[in-house]
Amino acid sequence: MFKRSLTGRVTLRLEEFEKNVLQDFIREFANLVAVPDEPAETDPLARMLGMNGPTEISDDPALARLFPHAYLDDAEAAADFRRYTEPELRGVKVKATQTVLESMALEAEKITLSNVEQLAWLQVLNDLRLVLGVRLNITDGEREDPDEPLFQVYDWLTWLQGTLIDSIA
Amino acid sequence: MSVAPVEVAEPTVLTDYPWITLVWNDPINLMTYVTYVFQNYFGYDKAKAEALMLDVHHKGRAVVSTGSREEMEIDVKAMHSYGLWATLQQDK
Repeated sequence: MFKRSLTGRVTLRLEEFEKNVLQDFIREFANLVAVPDEPAETDPLARMLGMNGPTEISDDPALARLFPHAYLDDAEAAADFRRYTEPELRGVKVKATQTVLESMALEAEKITLSNVEQLAWLQVLNDLRLVLGVRLNITDGEREDPDEPLFQVYDWLTWLQGTLIDSIA
Repeated sequence: MSVAPVEVAEPTVLTDYPWITLVWNDPINLMTYVTYVFQNYFGYDKAKAEALMLDVHHKGRAVVSTGSREEMEIDVKAMHSYGLWATLQQDK
């Protein structure tokens, strides 16, 4: 769990099996959001400027949740926004997973996190919960299948993210 | 000293309306997380951030920022990077 020491340092302590679970889910998440292979006809200038993103929302509900429409009633503006922003947003998310995995690679039992690492952890834990939450069809109501093992992971991630927020907020 | 460009009359008065960023409720993001994002990104104090978060939670959405279309696109992109469900529109 995350803790804030009396001197203000934010630390993380994880059991080995917890690290393993996190690493597996984080790598899977990084593969999910990694920028897909570009079509051959992509305009090189657009690619250089990072304006070569998709114009359609993803068919995958988890990706659609991570990269939603920015405009509700203007399809053209929504497509433009997506083309200009989605590649960078995907890149930021992948970068955050790398920061988190590197901080976890330390052998130390208790890891002290820099500000950059704290933010990366916060965003990665939230992203993992969003993807799992969509996969589990989480709603404000009752759970369809509470015995589904992934709920345990989801609830643990929720708890872990809560300890981080308590440590930095 | 440069010469100011000739102002071209706007063909519509719609440009007078400001643009807004809306954040929508969702069942996954933690209330404490949403509050933290509003404080950290917008620089709102805790009371304002919590009030906005509760508006999102109870009313389904809240206006979290107002400004030009370009500014609102930057805010929406930032909200998406935090995993919040945000949209922008003209406030009319």
